[in-house]
Amino acid sequence: MLETVQLTKAFKGKTVVDEVELYLDQGESVGLLGPNGAGKSTTISMISSLLKPTSGDVKLNQKSTIKNPVDLRKVLGVVPQEIALYEELSAYENLKFFGRIYRVPKSELESRIQDTLEIVGLKERQKDLIKTFSGGMKRRVNIATALLHNPKILILDEPTVGIDPQSRNYILEMVRQLNEQKGTTVLYTSHYMEEVEQLCNRVYIMDHGKVIAKGTKSELLSILSNEDTISVQPNRIDEEFLAAVKEIEGVRKVEVSGEEINIIAKKASNIVSELVNVGERHQVQILNFQMENPSLENVFLHLTGRTLRD
Amino acid sequence: MMPVFLAQLAKDRRSPALIILFIVGSVLATVLFTGGTQAPVTVQIFSEEEQTEEIEAKWEQLLNQEGNMEFVVTEEEEARDNVRQGRSDLAIKLFEDDYEIVTSSNLPTVQYVDQHVRTVFEREARIQVATEEASNPEELRQEIKSQLEDPLFAMEVESTTGEELSAHDMGIQLMYAFTLLVAMFIIGFRVNNVSKDKVDCIWDRVILSPVGKTSMYTGYIAYAFFIGFVQTVIVLMVFNYVLQYDLGERFDLLVVVVAVFTFSMVSIAMLFTGIVKGPEQFYALYPSVIPLIPLISGAYMMPGTITHPVMTFIGDLFPVSHAIEAMIGVTLYDATWQDITQPIIIMILIGVVSMGIGINLVERRRG
Ligand SMILES: Nc1ncnc2c1ncn2[C@@H]1O[C@H](COP(=O)(O)OP(=O)(O)O)[C@@H](O)[C@H]1O
Ligand SMILES: [Mg+2]
Repeated sequence: MLETVQLTKAFKGKTVVDEVELYLDQGESVGLLGPNGAGKSTTISMISSLLKPTSGDVKLNQKSTIKNPVDLRKVLGVVPQEIALYEELSAYENLKFFGRIYRVPKSELESRIQDTLEIVGLKERQKDLIKTFSGGMKRRVNIATALLHNPKILILDEPTVGIDPQSRNYILEMVRQLNEQKGTTVLYTSHYMEEVEQLCNRVYIMDHGKVIAKGTKSELLSILSNEDTISVQPNRIDEEFLAAVKEIEGVRKVEVSGEEINIIAKKASNIVSELVNVGERHQVQILNFQMENPSLENVFLHLTGRTLRD
Repeated sequence: MMPVFLAQLAKDRRSPALIILFIVGSVLATVLFTGGTQAPVTVQIFSEEEQTEEIEAKWEQLLNQEGNMEFVVTEEEEARDNVRQGRSDLAIKLFEDDYEIVTSSNLPTVQYVDQHVRTVFEREARIQVATEEASNPEELRQEIKSQLEDPLFAMEVESTTGEELSAHDMGIQLMYAFTLLVAMFIIGFRVNNVSKDKVDCIWDRVILSPVGKTSMYTGYIAYAFFIGFVQTVIVLMVFNYVLQYDLGERFDLLVVVVAVFTFSMVSIAMLFTGIVKGPEQFYALYPSVIPLIPLISGAYMMPGTITHPVMTFIGDLFPVSHAIEAMIGVTLYDATWQDITQPIIIMILIGVVSMGIGINLVERRRG
């Protein structure tokens, strides 16, 4: 339905999106996962025709949309990362304004506004000014705005940043329902892997402007199939100890997060006993360790040597 | 265009305080700074010379011959009392061929009255000199008078300071200056919404909609024009109909000048928006730059006070000096369509050029 071909964007010679290829099939829910600054928003801006690519193409049903984005814009609903609303107006007035500019027919406008308010659960608060809303409520109106014209494809750019867990769950559930019940195709951007894991059939992982992995969740996890992820909690962490751990046979990656050390190592290597030995040699006590069920977080760690939150 | 316009309108309808404050502000500022005086002013005159009655009668008649002030002969005691207790701004003490102003204030009214009285006295002095040695003084006096009123050569009478001695009304000029100054603020803040909404990403949404960019700009521009125009016309109507200022016979011409000025100023504000880095910088710079424009244009001073060529050149680049010129023309000198064509064309030119550059700059600023 929608695909990008070698999509590239450079700002003043610095490439921030580098030959990204991704596609969306009708009815799919696709995740775009990556740390801050990976180039997700830039990619989305190009897909939604707000930003001209330096090179490459965005195609809707095999037709390039760069020269003439009219058809694309008709089927697209975009929820920007920022809250793009008039703070001084009520939720209802905002929806009315955006409904008008999206040319929702007059006869349907009122019912569309009420339907959308119902979806985001803010019917009771519609007369209140946006500036009186909590962060989570603003995010919900921000999404509602993109739904007024019944888009076939919904693109959401980090719609849950900086809000309380309750609102976050509400939004995730809402997006799931739009996808499952109304058949809306969803492209969901986030740097929270749990959200993407929970919501999306397929995932693209981006880092430094490049897609570094893609596939269904299980496909991605199979990258780790011959590796173990071990989380170790020593009583203290020092450089020499870390260096020694890296030297252990079979260890691929070592990463410190807080008081823990995450280690990726080849499966069935004798890593645990080696670890205890190394610890003894450096006067480090291993307080606790745990073999983890691999998650997309581990996939990212495996691919880049960093965590998503870095 | 309409939805953008309506959304802007909805915002101002929800919190109209700013607009109302500005309307009240420009009326108050004018009334305050001009001493709230407007014609007809009543001035009490008296004399303490020997032939009191003769002198009083002569000057009362001459002073009342023209102008929109009324001079009334009063007892000296009473006139002085009135001034002392603030019941009147000034009184005039008459001599045979000179006068003294009795006042305790420095209001523009005083200068205004003084100007008128001086004109009358000086003219009278000339006639006196000319007729002194004539055989038939009365005949000659009539002749000179009619010549002065309908001169063979257009002659500009100037005082020692070089000011034109026509009854230039500073009150009216200040009123226009304040009114337009306030309009410039309103217009600027509304035009700045373009870049505010752009930063708030509301633009992105509009761009993704079927509403084209042109009609989006038109929406913002039309709204800024609308609000600036409406508020200025309301202020002028308050002066004209409520406060009974005499704005001349042609209110329709004034409205045309206001419309052209508003358009021109919207463009200047758009240019300003394009030059500054963003809406925040606009809020910081615009209010400090705008009041300077009428200042260097000489809007607060007698015409001809500012003569420095660089200053007048800069002043002329902005519409406000041309608008005030045209409006004063209409109000004080019965200007017609032809007389205000030039300032109007200049303002339109300023408008078209700065709008073009302004929109271009605003456009270019998006990455
Ligand atoms: N308009 C721009 N000009 C220059 N650099 C930009 C611009 N927009 C984004 N970038 C840079 O591109 C990179 C990717 O940004 P972005 O797409 O916002 O990442 P993400 O959404 O994944 O956090 C960042 O390093 C950012 O600084
Ligand atoms: Mg982003």
